[in-house]
Amino acid sequence: MENQPTSGGCGSGCGCHSDPGGQADATRRNLLKAAGVTLGAAAFAKAISPIVNWSRENLSVDEFLQQHYRELDKEQLAAVMKRLEQDAKKNYGADVTISDHRPQKGVKFGYALNLSVCIGCRRCAEACHHENNHDRATNNSYIRVLEMQKGSMDIEHGNAHYDHPVPHPDKFYMPVQCQQCDNPPCVDVCPVEATWKEDDGIVVVDYNWCIGCRYCEAACPYHARRFNWTKPVIPKAEINPKQSYLSNRIRPQGVMEKCTFCLHRTREGKMPACLEACPTGARVFGNLLDPDSEIRKVIDNKRVFVLKEELGTRPSFFYFFDE
Amino acid sequence: MNSTITNAENPHDAKFHATSYLKFLRLAFRLATEGTWTFYVWMFVLSCVFLVGAHAWATQVAQGMIVTAMTDHVSWGLYIANFTFLVGLAAGGVMMVIPAYIYHDNDMHDTVIIGELLAIASIVMCLMFVVADLGRPDRFWHMMPFIGKFNWPISMLTWDVIVLNGYLLLNLHICGYMLYKRFLGETPDRRWYVPFVFLSIAWAISIHTVTAFLYCGLGGRPFWNTALMAPRFLTSAFVAGPAFIIVVLQLIRRMTQMKVGPGSIQTLVAIMRITILIDLLMLGSEVFTALYTGGAHSTAIRYLFFGHGDLNALVPWTWVSLAFMVTAAVLLMRPKVHEHLKVLDVACVLAFVGIWIEKGMGLIIPGFVPSTLHEWVEYIPSAAEWKIMAGIWAAGLIVYTLLLKVAIPVFTGNVSGRRAK
Amino acid sequence: MFFGVIAVIAVFFMGALAIPWLQRNRDRPGRAFSDKKPGDFTHPVVIRKPGGVALVDTGKKDSHGQAVMVACATCHDTRDPNFNANSGESLKEFHQGLKTQHGGQTCLSCHNHEDYNTLKRADGRPLDFSESMQLCAQCHGPQYRDYQNGSHGGMTGHWDLKQGPRERNHCTDCHDPHHPKYPLVMPVFPPKPVIGEAIPSADGEKSH
Repeated sequence: MENQPTSGGCGSGCGCHSDPGGQADATRRNLLKAAGVTLGAAAFAKAISPIVNWSRENLSVDEFLQQHYRELDKEQLAAVMKRLEQDAKKNYGADVTISDHRPQKGVKFGYALNLSVCIGCRRCAEACHHENNHDRATNNSYIRVLEMQKGSMDIEHGNAHYDHPVPHPDKFYMPVQCQQCDNPPCVDVCPVEATWKEDDGIVVVDYNWCIGCRYCEAACPYHARRFNWTKPVIPKAEINPKQSYLSNRIRPQGVMEKCTFCLHRTREGKMPACLEACPTGARVFGNLLDPDSEIRKVIDNKRVFVLKEELGTRPSFFYFFDE
Repeated sequence: MNSTITNAENPHDAKFHATSYLKFLRLAFRLATEGTWTFYVWMFVLSCVFLVGAHAWATQVAQGMIVTAMTDHVSWGLYIANFTFLVGLAAGGVMMVIPAYIYHDNDMHDTVIIGELLAIASIVMCLMFVVADLGRPDRFWHMMPFIGKFNWPISMLTWDVIVLNGYLLLNLHICGYMLYKRFLGETPDRRWYVPFVFLSIAWAISIHTVTAFLYCGLGGRPFWNTALMAPRFLTSAFVAGPAFIIVVLQLIRRMTQMKVGPGSIQTLVAIMRITILIDLLMLGSEVFTALYTGGAHSTAIRYLFFGHGDLNALVPWTWVSLAFMVTAAVLLMRPKVHEHLKVLDVACVLAFVGIWIEKGMGLIIPGFVPSTLHEWVEYIPSAAEWKIMAGIWAAGLIVYTLLLKVAIPVFTGNVSGRRAK
Repeated sequence: MFFGVIAVIAVFFMGALAIPWLQRNRDRPGRAFSDKKPGDFTHPVVIRKPGGVALVDTGKKDSHGQAVMVACATCHDTRDPNFNANSGESLKEFHQGLKTQHGGQTCLSCHNHEDYNTLKRADGRPLDFSESMQLCAQCHGPQYRDYQNGSHGGMTGHWDLKQGPRERNHCTDCHDPHHPKYPLVMPVFPPKPVIGEAIPSADGEKSH
């Protein structure tokens, strides 16, 4: 950072070359600078070439310009879903149908889990994995089953990696998944509103709007959110072809995802995949606004509690014991 | 010929500025690309490191963030750690502004620009770290207000976007204006910089407060959910910033013709003496609160200092950071330390590194260990992450070097756009 | 000049605010409810019923290789009822392999000695095998109540019976009536440990 040879008050744009070294020096210097800049630019282009290749394969102009799900009108949404179906065919070789499932009026979902009846077989986690087209390599699932010590509700002593015949007499089993909170911290922190709570209580993610900052994953107190650290890998034969835009379509790389209470099933009145897989009937699901529903009977008659109630998240997922 | 002093009766017109500003830019380009062999080697090395980082980042975008060591349990790592530290450095860079403008310290007045240029380079690095941390940087436009969706005011990240970019623009304006005026050989018009300088003081506090609020508002992370987060951020920023600037001022004194009076360094040392003690006090307060109470909310701090079973990757870093900070504090207490520059330099380096560790690894990682379901997953950055970090630091140093390379000659009046008399 | 810049910025700002208002009537499905109307018909809940008459495997195979099954009455019509037997071990013929663990009850607590093709309620009235849930319910009232309320016993189908039917397990789909305690199973689908994860060992101690 040494001083420049002073030009006696002249700026460089003067035109009179009064600087020592003369014109030849200046020309050689400029030539070297130009060469340096060109080399630098070429090196930079080479350095970032993986991005160019990636965007050529994975990013179309339509996808880049796609608006937020809630701003699309009917034709645009239909076009987007068609494009996504074609992408699924191209990337995974599978013929899928992607639909749009909207909430029903007068429905607010609640889910309850009977901790006296759950045996910890993890079939719910497995069903979720298959229903939601999760990445096979990581055994990803939205449900994590914790083996808890009887006599303690402290998750500190929970273990998700148990591998012995269940149920163990000293333990009880607590599956944890997205609680679809009524005051969700993940929705508050998302800078681009890629995640929001719908009218039937389900917190959803627009996978084509998420920028992958993972603030929601930091904010969630229940370890409910999953990030696509790479492009999901699923064999064609195992893909669940009935997909929905907001739930179980195959997610792209670099975006967040989470349990959606199988909205592609539940918004048609069906049970979520985890409930159907549960052999003991520990899971209870239904419409909290229907006074005759099973979920209301559980809440009215059993001693239900929620996880981390003191955080004020107001989950829609309740736990209870029979005795 | 143009007059050397502008005043309200004889302002320059737009046409004048169109040619003059271009000349300024051409001068800047010339200053930025010519220098000693040291300069060329320094820039070349930095460029190579930057290219390595750029390539690693491109690979990360193509293959996904699986090339990092982050997981669903520890979902923020080296990038956000560096981002947090650099926001502090940017805020601290403006620390010289307070004595210069509020307390009318004339010695500081000339060296203030060094701090403001540091703020610019730091914010550039912050923005680069944020982009490096995004899973889909191609969707950056989703964050723009009106064009995308901007979840303001609920999401603290949107506040961070506003304050960081605003701070960058503020400092670009202040420095750009001062340099351009010096280039023209004219006295800067107070109306065009003094209000912005005072705004930048408040704004510097806000960038760090908002960044602290990113973390301390999350109830699900008890290690972060403490009211002390924002004050701790501020004090550590006001240690790291002056520490860096003290070293840079000495380098400038040695390598350029800019006059750096002893007053600047003295003032900065005086600031550091106070802020480093407050920072250590706050750290002690956090440690006491966690360890005395015990229970689940203390597991993260215990993990930091003592490890958990076999998991103790962060323990040596934590104790080293504490040792550095305490040593730096002790060294800074020495009377007239500003006259013993070697000791001062050691203290500054120790403080800077200690705070980098404390703000980076010591803040971000323990927020995720243990996870919200109390599972223990350690995080050790992968090679790709180190490369990207190095690349971004190299880019920041390139920016800072170039800014100084242009600013110092213009400021010392060794080059100017004054027409020959 | 200054005011010109401000004016341009203001125009952009107002435009950005006006455009969403101008588009407020666009049909955006992402903000709408479903227009499906479920209707009034309540679909049935089908409980998997056990087969009609209970049969016992003799252990012999017929000429086609099928197991030879006999109805209870085949043997029990010609014998006196044994009111003390409560497990297969005390018997000399048949049912020796039958493991029982059901509160130490005798066989004839549930089986009807007057008609071995039926079961017996607590008051002695016969109960068809297809209605055996009522027998379980007599003693296991809380579980039966929970079953009726939907919080016990596996099911598939629809949560909303206005939109589709439901199929439910019978008690005996999970609970063997002679040995009803739910059996131990091996869990499936363990989560894969990620880099740097400490896997707790079997006794709960966490280590690498």
